[in-house]
Amino acid sequence: MIRFLAISLLAAVVLTSCSLKTTEGLRPVPFTQNEVENPYFSNAEIDYVYKAKIEVYGKNFGGILIIKKIAAGSHRVVFTTEFGSKLFDFQFEGDTFTKNFVVEDLDKKFIVNILKDDFKLLVNESAKVLAVYESNGNRIYKTQSEDRFNFYFFGSVNKSLQKIVNTSKTKEKVVIDFTVSGKNIAETIAIKHKNIKLTIALEKFKKE
Amino acid sequence: MTASEITTFKEKVIASAKTTKTIKTDFVQYKHLDFLADDVKTSGKMVFKAPGLVKWEYTNPYQYSVIFMEDQLLINDGGTKSKVDIGNSKLFKKLNQLIVNSVKGNMFNDADFTVSFYKSSKYNKAVFVPKDKKIAGYIASFELLFNKDDAQVFEVKMVEPSQDFTRIVFSNRTLNSTINDSVFSN
Repeated sequence: MIRFLAISLLAAVVLTSCSLKTTEGLRPVPFTQNEVENPYFSNAEIDYVYKAKIEVYGKNFGGILIIKKIAAGSHRVVFTTEFGSKLFDFQFEGDTFTKNFVVEDLDKKFIVNILKDDFKLLVNESAKVLAVYESNGNRIYKTQSEDRFNFYFFGSVNKSLQKIVNTSKTKEKVVIDFTVSGKNIAETIAIKHKNIKLTIALEKFKKE
Repeated sequence: MTASEITTFKEKVIASAKTTKTIKTDFVQYKHLDFLADDVKTSGKMVFKAPGLVKWEYTNPYQYSVIFMEDQLLINDGGTKSKVDIGNSKLFKKLNQLIVNSVKGNMFNDADFTVSFYKSSKYNKAVFVPKDKKIAGYIASFELLFNKDDAQVFEVKMVEPSQDFTRIVFSNRTLNSTINDSVFSN
């Protein structure tokens, strides 16, 4: 009986750990690369400015998202209304997070935590590789972030970063999709949450 | 400015605001953040109709418009339309009222601000500092720059406590042309 229980439990663990959708159909491959890089916010000379549209539980908000690399491994992320009033101003420095400013209505722990996690995932420049997969010429790098995992999908054609998927052991939590033009410039970014109804759509400001 | 200069200046602005029934103007907005290489620049058109209808329409680099109508904001964000009820938010109402009044320039009697006046060879300037602590948490000061000749506002600057600021510069202004109310529908 005990053996049966043990096998059942083991089977349950194995089956659930296999159920992560992200790695379905992917082939693990040997790797020598220790770090995976997100190149989109890595140039300290560029002001990365995006029109933002946020949809949360059916409600729409707009604004301007500004990202700037201010030092090695350090980014400033500021969100303003279209009129320019700051809604939040965050700083990411390695694993240190600083809340420079948050407008009162948004300054609630669970909201700030979601925004912090989303933008950390977006701007984090490099992470230690745990595993590498391949599928149809795409290369996927698995990394760890606290008790979660991030999967970085690189395309087969131009080798650009197309997607980052943040997961628990068994479930996808957040997906970031990129469309890219030119060298290391993300034209559009879509941040979609799987467990809450929140999407953040970003479109890069066009040059005049 | 001297006390008598302030009086003359205020009278001129109030007289000008009284005769201003409609305004149509282009604008360029500069968002200054100290850590950026360049200010974030957006531009568009603004339409005002007395007593309190205002439409800001951004056309570059994106399409976005907001209409201020009594206790509501009507927003069209590149085709996504929404309505925001600001009736319950005193702070938001105050900020919106500031935007509406700053277009006309006539906000000297606003008891929520301490006003000071400056002059240069090119313009007159009024600086509004909020008395309310909550508003002061968002705006350190609000500056309006006026043409010397016609006492119209040509620049609005909103300075944040961090000293970052938003500057809006008006150009190609048309006064008192006929503007249909349908302009202010979403």
